[in-house]
Amino acid sequence: MSDTSEQVLFTALSDAVLNMDEDTVQETAHKVVKEGFNAYQAIENGLVDGMNRAGQLFEDEEYFIPEILLCSDAMYAGLDILNPHIDRSLQRVRRKVVIGVVEGDTHDIGKNLVKTLLDAAGFDVVDLGRDIPSQVIVESAVEQNADVIALSTLMTTTMDGMASVVELLRQSGNRDKVKVIVGGGPVSQAFADRIGADGYASTAPAAVKLLHKLFQETAHV
Amino acid sequence: MSDKGQHHCKDSLSPLQRLDAYGKGLPVDRLPCVPIVGNTAARVLGVKVSALRNDGRALADAHIASYRRFGYDNIRVFTDLYTLAEGMGARIRVPEDETAFLDEPAIQGVSGISGLRPVDPYRDGVLPEHIEAIKRVVQEVGDEVPVTAALTGPFTNASFLIGAVTLSRLVLKDPAAVHALCRLSLESALAYAEAIFAAGGTPSLTDAMSSSTVISPKQFEEFSYPYLKTLVDHIHSKGRPATLHICGKTSPIWNRMADTGADCLSIDNDADLLDARRRIGDRVRLMGNVHPSAIMLQGTPESIREAVYQCVAAAGDNPRGFVVASGCSLPTETPFGNIDAMLDAVREIGYPVHAGFQQTAGKKSI
Repeated sequence: MSDTSEQVLFTALSDAVLNMDEDTVQETAHKVVKEGFNAYQAIENGLVDGMNRAGQLFEDEEYFIPEILLCSDAMYAGLDILNPHIDRSLQRVRRKVVIGVVEGDTHDIGKNLVKTLLDAAGFDVVDLGRDIPSQVIVESAVEQNADVIALSTLMTTTMDGMASVVELLRQSGNRDKVKVIVGGGPVSQAFADRIGADGYASTAPAAVKLLHKLFQETAHV
Repeated sequence: MSDKGQHHCKDSLSPLQRLDAYGKGLPVDRLPCVPIVGNTAARVLGVKVSALRNDGRALADAHIASYRRFGYDNIRVFTDLYTLAEGMGARIRVPEDETAFLDEPAIQGVSGISGLRPVDPYRDGVLPEHIEAIKRVVQEVGDEVPVTAALTGPFTNASFLIGAVTLSRLVLKDPAAVHALCRLSLESALAYAEAIFAAGGTPSLTDAMSSSTVISPKQFEEFSYPYLKTLVDHIHSKGRPATLHICGKTSPIWNRMADTGADCLSIDNDADLLDARRRIGDRVRLMGNVHPSAIMLQGTPESIREAVYQCVAAAGDNPRGFVVASGCSLPTETPFGNIDAMLDAVREIGYPVHAGFQQTAGKKSI
């Protein structure tokens, strides 16, 4: 159980996520558990590291949606195995993000991508799914004590739903507690400003950077 | 072609006269201009969006009214991208006053592919009503303006058959299944294209999922290009011009989009028109690319004028021609005044683009 072999397994996890190799991720994760290595570090230095590298390739236009989806499948397969073995005391408090696609829009590729990269970046992401009424989004965020509401749309017709989330949040007296970020094809910075959102991101990696900026954190390693 | 063709009160040529002369390098009054009106046509007619989708007469009336109201250079009979997939079994949700959207794909997994059949456009879904609409529009204004109908590209249609996320995974895990879905979608597209021709219209290709925002250029090459090429060849075999629209980022695939033989590429606001003109402007006409929501929906007539000037500065001298257009279909609630502003800016610029133009256009000029 040398440090090297631990590192070898972590690197193998990272590489397997990057290479979209779900089977190798699962085998390696089981080895980590069997050897009694630190599951939290295996996630951070293995799975998350691999997903971050995939996210970089996505930004560099070497990976596209199909590759990122398979990388995230591999990451989640590893998380399923490793999560039950995390020493809870090691975990730091994570910012909670409630994410969803607004009412009347069932396009959720972009939202899923943002969720995956936020998961990988260490946020605690609650995925409400697609076609969610503004009221439900706000209620869930308040109930879950969320720090962030992340909204996505691909349809101009549903952009009003984003504005109503901001408005409902204000009416519920929680506007100061929850940051609202928006993204998706028809959305722009100008639109985000107009509806009073806290930020706009044009891509999934940009959404991660935006939240780091909003919370003035350094990038999660 | 007909000099009896009607034209908008602010113009001196009909769209067909203008496009014909422009294509031949003869004098015209202005550049062609196509704010891509979709369900905004319902607003012009004063009806709910859902009133158009399955009613050929209303759909035709709306597009005729919208064309007459604004005077743009192409009518595109369109309600949403899902009509073919719906005819093949996808479930579409039709809100009363918003654009329809995909509720459930036609099949849940690869095992469902064998149960899929190409559409019969005279029977399936809302297609018969769309064909009826094309006929009516052609009858009413076909001698003055090109009448086209949106035809969803096979790869995009495949994503509606099995779901975009599933299709994206299959691209890497089961390419044969993707091809099977694309082939079925191609057969549907060819059948509908045939019906569009028979009604007197021309198919206009639109293929959102083939965007480099979604798939890689290599994946485009394998799963989109061959099917698009077949459709373009088919349109050409009828002696009609082919327009190809792909949303989002497309610069990595411009050359291959041009290789399909399409006569005109409609590019989205994610793409740089000046770059497009430099790279493929000697091969294809370009069309674009004022931002449909940030500018056309949310902008003011002044910001729209500015955006039009920037587009014309970038591509107005495109060797194979340029059509001032929105980057993608306009949002339903785009203010009429903003659509007027687009056409007015094009009228103000005139043709040939006058000498002082580049100064007016500001630093974006070449």
